Amino acid sequence: MSAATEQPKQTLTVTTNDNVDIVVEREILERSVLIKNMIGDVGEEQIDTAIPLPNVNEPVMKKVIEWCEHHRKDPPAPEGDDSDSRKKSTDIDEWDQKFMQVDQEMLFEIILAANYLDIKGLLDVGCKTVANMIKGKSPDEIRKTFNIQNDFTPEEEDQIRRENEWAEDR
Amino acid sequence: MSHVKRVIPSGNDSRQNVISSLRTTQLLNSKAVLPAELIATILDYLPIPDMFRFARTSKRMQEMVYDDTRWIQRLKIMGCWNDAEARQRFEEAMKRKLQAQRQADAARKADPALNGNAHGGRGAGDNEGTLSVTLFDAGLEEEMQRASLDRMVRPRASTLDRGFDDVTMSPAGLFRPGPANKLDPNATLEIFSKVRSIRGMARQEYGKIYGALAPFYFDLARSRSHTDPILFRMYRDPEQQAQMLAQLKIFAKSDFAIGWSQREERLETMTGVFENAVLREFEQGYETRDYDGRMKRYAHVLVTLNGGAAIVDTFIHNHPLMLDKDQLGDPSDCLRNAPSGQISLQPSHEFFKDLATKLNDEVSVIDRVFPPSVDVLLPFLDRIGDDIISDYITAVFDEAHDVSIEAYLKAVSGVFEQALQFAITIRPSKGSEQNFQEEAKRIIARCFEPHVDLYLQEELDFFKGKSAAEVEVWEKRLSDEEQSAESFFMSNINRQAVKRDFLTSFKKVVMMPVNVLPTMGSSRSTAITNVVNGDSLNPTSRSSTPVPGQLPVSPGLEAPSTELAAKAAIMNSRLEGIRSLFSIEVALNLIHTAKTSLERAARFVRLGGQSGEESREQCENIFINLLQILGNRHIKPGFNKAVHHLSEYKPREVADHSNQGVAPLVAFLELVNVGDLIQQMVDVFYLQELVAVHLTDRDDFLSPACKEKKRFEQMLDERVAAGLNRGIDVLMDEVEYICGTTQSPGDFNPPVGPDGVVQMSDIGPTETAQKVVDIVSSHTSMLVGSTDKNVLDVFNQEVGLRLFTALCKHLKRQRVSVDGAIRLISDMNAYNAYIATLRNKSLTQYFSALRELSQIYLIAPDHAKEIATIIADSDRYHGIFRAEEVYEFAERRADWFSIKAQVERQMYGVGCIVM
Repeated sequence: MSAATEQPKQTLTVTTNDNVDIVVEREILERSVLIKNMIGDVGEEQIDTAIPLPNVNEPVMKKVIEWCEHHRKDPPAPEGDDSDSRKKSTDIDEWDQKFMQVDQEMLFEIILAANYLDIKGLLDVGCKTVANMIKGKSPDEIRKTFNIQNDFTPEEEDQIRRENEWAEDR
Repeated sequence: MSHVKRVIPSGNDSRQNVISSLRTTQLLNSKAVLPAELIATILDYLPIPDMFRFARTSKRMQEMVYDDTRWIQRLKIMGCWNDAEARQRFEEAMKRKLQAQRQADAARKADPALNGNAHGGRGAGDNEGTLSVTLFDAGLEEEMQRASLDRMVRPRASTLDRGFDDVTMSPAGLFRPGPANKLDPNATLEIFSKVRSIRGMARQEYGKIYGALAPFYFDLARSRSHTDPILFRMYRDPEQQAQMLAQLKIFAKSDFAIGWSQREERLETMTGVFENAVLREFEQGYETRDYDGRMKRYAHVLVTLNGGAAIVDTFIHNHPLMLDKDQLGDPSDCLRNAPSGQISLQPSHEFFKDLATKLNDEVSVIDRVFPPSVDVLLPFLDRIGDDIISDYITAVFDEAHDVSIEAYLKAVSGVFEQALQFAITIRPSKGSEQNFQEEAKRIIARCFEPHVDLYLQEELDFFKGKSAAEVEVWEKRLSDEEQSAESFFMSNINRQAVKRDFLTSFKKVVMMPVNVLPTMGSSRSTAITNVVNGDSLNPTSRSSTPVPGQLPVSPGLEAPSTELAAKAAIMNSRLEGIRSLFSIEVALNLIHTAKTSLERAARFVRLGGQSGEESREQCENIFINLLQILGNRHIKPGFNKAVHHLSEYKPREVADHSNQGVAPLVAFLELVNVGDLIQQMVDVFYLQELVAVHLTDRDDFLSPACKEKKRFEQMLDERVAAGLNRGIDVLMDEVEYICGTTQSPGDFNPPVGPDGVVQMSDIGPTETAQKVVDIVSSHTSMLVGSTDKNVLDVFNQEVGLRLFTALCKHLKRQRVSVDGAIRLISDMNAYNAYIATLRNKSLTQYFSALRELSQIYLIAPDHAKEIATIIADSDRYHGIFRAEEVYEFAERRADWFSIKAQVERQMYGVGCIVM
C-alpha cells in the first residue's frame, strides 16, 4: 500500500483466462487480497509482468474492476472471525444494488471471482444480493432459480417443513 | 431469471471441478454453481423462514441449513451457549450411542436389510453419496434426535424411522414441539434460561427461542406506534414488558438477515419509549420520596430492561445533593475564620463530614430502591467528586493561593488528607464491588489530580525560597555581629567535657527526630504525621503521639517540641565558638522546613499513577534542595572560613598560649563534629522521611536523592580533609613553637653544680614534652567518633609522623649530656606512651626507634666502642634510622668532641660494619 501511495499512478497488467490484458491502477487492484499478497510474494521488481488470472474472464474482471474502483477508498476489511463482522455489515447501498443488477450468471461469476480474488466487500454484496433473491421464494422457485435438483420425496420435504414449523411466518 | 437447465454435477464435487466444468461447458451457456462455502455465506444473510424453505430444495441444502455450527453460532452470539455443558452432554450422549449401537447391532442381526439401509444414509464413503458437511457425530445425533422426535410428534411418519425404534436418544418431552406461540406467556418471559447446550440440537434449541420471541420481534419491527405491538398488549406488567424487551434485545443479535439494522433500530426506539415512560414514573416517585413503592418498582423494571444505567443517571442527576450544592459549605469559610494569611481547615473538615453523613444516609436509600445487582453508589460518588468536591476544593485552593503560598500548600495537603478520610468513611452499598474503598479513593484522587502539578511546583519553590531566606537571614545577622562575634569566639573556647556533653545531648535529639522534628514545623499536621510515623523506625514515638485518624487540629506535641527547643538553646549557647561559621540552628530549621514540605508532598504519592510518580520525584527534589542549600550555602562557606582561620594562624604571633589548644584548630575540629552531626541528622532524616516511607530506594544508586546525598557527604569529607591538612600544619607549628620556646637548654644538659653533682630537679618528662603530648592528644581525641575512622587513622598517622619529624628536628637542636639523657629518655617514653594510645603500628615503630635512639646519650664516654656499635646497629631502629642519621644524633652528645675520634675509629677503622 505504501508503494501505491508514493506512486499513485502505478499500474499493473492482468491477463484473464480468455487472454485479454487489462491495465489497472495498482491501488485499485490491491483491493484484491490475493493480488496484493501475490505482489508481496513476488516482489516489486517483477511487477511489470502481467498477472495471470486463470479463473476469471474478461467481462467479469471488468465488472470486478468497476466495483473496486468505486470502493477504492473503503477501509480494508477487518481481519479475524467473520461472525462479528457479518453482524456489522450493513445493508447493500444504492450503488451496489445497481451494480448488482446483472443476469444471474454474471452475478454468480462475480461472486466466484470475488471469492477467488479475495475481495471481501464484493463477496458480501454478492451474497447479500443472492440472499435477497431467495427471500420469500417457495422451495420450487428456489430450485428453479438456482437450478437445484430435488432429491426429496414429497414426504421428506414435508417432514422438514414440519420440523421447522416454529420458523414459519405468522 | 435464467431458464437454461443443466444437470448439475453432484454437489460433492470440489469447487475446482465446478469451475473447470463450468469453463468447459461455457459455450453451452450453462449457469454457474456456487461452491458450498459460498452458499453457506449466503444462508447467513437469509431470514430464518427462507432458510428452511431453502433447506427443502435438496438434501445437500438441507444438510447445509441444518449444520449444527450455524445454530451454535447464533446461540453463542446471544450468549446462551455453554461449551462446558455441551461437552458434558456430548459425553453422556456418546455413552448412550455406544449402547444404541450395541442394540442396533443386535437389531441388524435380526433384520440385516433394514439396518443396511439405515446405515447407508450416513456412511462415510457410501455409494449413495450423502454429502457430509457436518461433524459425523453431530450429524448422527441430529438424525437420531429427529427420528425420536418424529416418532413422538407424528406417529404416522413411521416410514422415516430407520430402525431406531428402540433407541431413546433424549428424554422424551423435554423439547416442546409445535408452534411456539402456544407457549405459556410466562414461560416465554424466561425463555433464555431454558436453553440447553446440546451438540446436534442447537437448531432445535434456537427454534425454541425463535418460536417464542420472533413473533414479538417482527411484530415490534413492523409496528408504527408504541401501543401497537402485541408485546405491550399481551404483557401488562412493566416488569414483564421490561423482561421481554431485554430478551428481544438479545434475540436481535442473532438476526443477520438483510434489514436487521432497521429492525434493531425499531426495537431500540420502542425500548427508548418504554424506558422514558418508566423514568417518568420513577421521577414522580422520587419527588414524593416514595422509596419503597414506585421508586423501587421502576428501578427494578429498568434494571431488568438494560442494567438501569439511565435510572441511575436520573437518580443521581435529580439528587438533592446535586441540586443544592451550596448548602454544604462555603469554601471561603476556610479563610474567613482564620487569622489573615493563614488558613483554617476546620470548615473544610465540616464540609467533608457533612458530605459523608449525607452520603451514608443516601447509601441506605440506594439499598432500598435499587436491586443489589447494580452499583449505584459508585457513579453517584463519581458525580459528587466531579460536581461537588472538585468545585469546592478548586475554590478553596484558589482563594488560599491568593492569600499566601504557605496557606495554599497547607490547604492542598490538608484538604487532600481530609478527602481521603472522607473516602474511607463512606459505607459501601449492597451493590458495591469489593474494591469500593479503592474506587472511592481513586475518585478523590481524580479530583485532586489537576491541582497536584501546581502544588508540587509551589511546594518546591516555597521550600527553596524559605530555606534560602533562612540562610540569608543568618548570614546577614552574622555580618552585623561579625566583630563582636569574632572576639567572643576567640575568647570562649570550649572545654572538652562541655563539648562531649552537648554532643551526647545533640545526638539524643537527632536520634529521636520522629517525635521531635515534625512538631517544630506545624502542629496542624501532627495527626497526619502520626499516620506517616505509624510504621516508622522509632517505637518510642508511639507513646507521645495521639491516636491516628484523629483529624489534624490537635495542638500536638507540646512537650517534645519544648524539649527540643531547650536543647537547641543549650547547644547554641555552647556552640558560641563556631556560631560565626555555621549554625546548627539554621541546619535544624532547614531540616524542619524540608520535613514539613516533604510530608505534605508525600501524601500525594498515594495518588499513584503519573501524579504519584511526580510527587515522589518532587519529594526527592525537596531533599536534594535541602542538601544543596545546607551544603553549598551553609556548611561549605563555614568550613572555608574555618580553614582560612587555620591557615592564618601563626603561633608565634599569638600572645596568649595559656589555653590548652590551638584556638582555630579547636574551632575547626568542633566544626568537624558539628558537620558530622548535621550529616547524621541528614542521614536520619533521609532514612526516616524518604526511605522508610518508600519515597526513594536506598539501594538505587541512580536515584537523584541518593546521588545528592553522596555528593553532600563527599563535600563534607573534602572540607574536613582540607581543613585537617591545614590543621596538622597548624598543630605542628604549635608543637615546634612550644619546643622552641619552653625547652630550656638545661633540660637535657643539666648544669653541673658547684659541688660537682648534676642538678636535677626531678626525673620525669620535661614540661615541654608534657605540653606537646597534651596539645597533640587533646586535638586528636577531639576527632574521635566524629569523623570516619579511616580519616581519623590517616589524620593520626600524619600527626604522628609530623610529630616524629618535629621531635627529631628538635632533638638535633639540643645538646644532651649523659645525665640529661635520663630526662630525654623520660620524654621519649612520654611520647611513646602517647603514640601507643593511637594504636597505630607503624607510628609505634617510629617512636620506639626514637626511644632506642635516645639511649645513645646514656652511654658513658668511656664506652665509645659501644656507641659506635649502637650507631651501626640498624636493626635496633627497625630500619627507620640509617647509621648516618644515628651518627648525626650522636653528634648532639654534650661530650661528642671528646669521644668523636674513638667512635669514628671504631666505626670506620676497626669494625667496618657499615660500608
